[in-house]
Amino acid sequence: MTGLYTRWALILGVTLLLAILTFQHYQQHLATLPMGTLLSSPPSSQPVRIQGMVKSGTLQGEVEQGQATFEFVDGPASLVVEYEGPPLENIRELKTLVLIGRWDSQNQVFKAQETALINNFGFVAAAYLVSVLGLGWMVFAMSQRVMVLFKEIKESKLYEPEADSLGYKE
Amino acid sequence: MPFFKTIRWVVWKDLISEWRTRETMSSMLFFALIVILVFSFSFSMDQDAARQLIAGIIWVAFTFTGIIGLGKSFTSELQNDCLESLQMSPAPKGAIYLGKTAANFLFMLSVEILLFPLFVLFFNLDVIEAVGTLLIIFFLATLGLSAVGTLFSALTVQIRAREVMLPVLLLPLAVPVMIAAVEATRGALSGDPFSFYSQWIQLLTIFDIIFTVVSFWLFEFILDS
Amino acid sequence: MINRIIRQIQRYKGWFGGGAALCIFLGLYTGLLASPPDYYQGELVRIMYVHVPLAHTSTLAYSVLFGGSIWYLWKRDPLVDNMCQASASICALFTALALITGSIWAKPTWNTWWTWDPRLVSFTVLLLILGGYLMLRRLVDDPVRGGRYAAILAIVGGIDLPIIKFSVEWWRTLHQPMSFSTRGVSISEDILIPLTLMSIGCWLLFAYMVMVRTQILYLTELLHAKKGRLLSQTHFSQTTP
Repeated sequence: MTGLYTRWALILGVTLLLAILTFQHYQQHLATLPMGTLLSSPPSSQPVRIQGMVKSGTLQGEVEQGQATFEFVDGPASLVVEYEGPPLENIRELKTLVLIGRWDSQNQVFKAQETALINNFGFVAAAYLVSVLGLGWMVFAMSQRVMVLFKEIKESKLYEPEADSLGYKE
Repeated sequence: MPFFKTIRWVVWKDLISEWRTRETMSSMLFFALIVILVFSFSFSMDQDAARQLIAGIIWVAFTFTGIIGLGKSFTSELQNDCLESLQMSPAPKGAIYLGKTAANFLFMLSVEILLFPLFVLFFNLDVIEAVGTLLIIFFLATLGLSAVGTLFSALTVQIRAREVMLPVLLLPLAVPVMIAAVEATRGALSGDPFSFYSQWIQLLTIFDIIFTVVSFWLFEFILDS
Repeated sequence: MINRIIRQIQRYKGWFGGGAALCIFLGLYTGLLASPPDYYQGELVRIMYVHVPLAHTSTLAYSVLFGGSIWYLWKRDPLVDNMCQASASICALFTALALITGSIWAKPTWNTWWTWDPRLVSFTVLLLILGGYLMLRRLVDDPVRGGRYAAILAIVGGIDLPIIKFSVEWWRTLHQPMSFSTRGVSISEDILIPLTLMSIGCWLLFAYMVMVRTQILYLTELLHAKKGRLLSQTHFSQTTP
């Protein structure tokens, strides 16, 4: 009986550990900073990720060569971006994307070195949660049922007469 | 040949009892009429919309009507314990299945042939050139429905909630028949050349062959007690 | 014969459960953390690492149900009948989860929760057939007859499912071209490792779950028999060869 619960505590622990690791990974490598926060309270020179759209008519420079400047808009906020990095084909006008780089507060310029695709992490999390919770709960309920059945079989007597409607036994 | 004799007697028995009571055919016909009326009220259609939807409407009406007939096919055997005599009879069970399937097929096909002129009348269809191919399609699709349906009619007759379980079990399995029948009927009604929809007729033929054989084999396990 | 094989394997079911847990944890780790995002799909490819194994496993479960049903009609082994019932309910769970995760993947990718894709339709029909199967088992009073009827339904459904998939494929190509296809995308090694781990994990988990569920069904019958409510045919027929 205790064996079952120890085993499941272990499984739950490993699952939680994986969930925490994933969340940390998301925080460090995948979460984007809102552009307003970046402008009002710029972080010290760590690289950050921001999401936005390339404003139409502002894209200049050679994207294929890996150099471009453009205005980047996210709702009401906007800033000037200088991109310098690997050559890309996916910077276009009106394209929504994620930029990775540093905010240069003296020149009021965002120096981007990398781009990334937009992702909706809610869908990934939902899919994993549904399947892991669904399967885990089902297996747990089944193992518990086996335990209960074993106990009941051990306790029940052979050919026990059934109680009648008033609860008396023969 | 006792095998073919059994088939003939089962069909004959069903036809005679139907002739004396006229229960199955009349309930199927009235139900189908109501379905047609409900459809024509709920889609107030012009000619073009009718042409698009009519194939689906025809087959929904035919399938639900068919299910009524199929359900009656074995519940009528419950009276006077006829089902048990069928189970105990030394006749080959496969022959009983084929006889029942043939009887159901005849009921469904005759109801469909009686109803189709009403569809033509109510929805202003232009069918004179397509009558031949439509008959082939009706024949094949009805055969498929009654082949699977007779098996499940016999299966559901001895369980609780049999009126619900027959459509619940039968309709998912009849998806290929429905798709193929609707597509072929639509092709025939819109005057496409035969080669456009001949693949659906092939699919219906394959379905009929497979499921007549499979149900013929499996029927033995239903009447086995 | 197969009765004895099932009993032999049942003894090692702990190993199946442990192996499943190990593979799934490794798969989750590589799938969520260690593997890079896909070039085309980005991070959404991670949904595939749960969706594809679930879908594979539900087809595996239906094959077990199909084979077991044929065997049951042939040999009338009550243990095989219990195994069929067990794999049907687990197949329903896996199919439902595969449909839900597939729908979650479809929303950001195709911008719709639902489309009449052949695979989606055939999985939905599979779920409907399994629902009918489980309902049928509850509605028959005599368990022996219930097992036989359910086996018949499973066999007819198993033969029908490929035809359904085939006909829906034709029907789709007729009405609109198959724009949604993932066949053209080549599978790289980064995707393959978590996918393989999760698939093996799901198969082992399925085997484990079927064993536990079969055990539950057997124990329930044993309990009924012991209480004298029902002289279970399962219990008694297993004591005589």
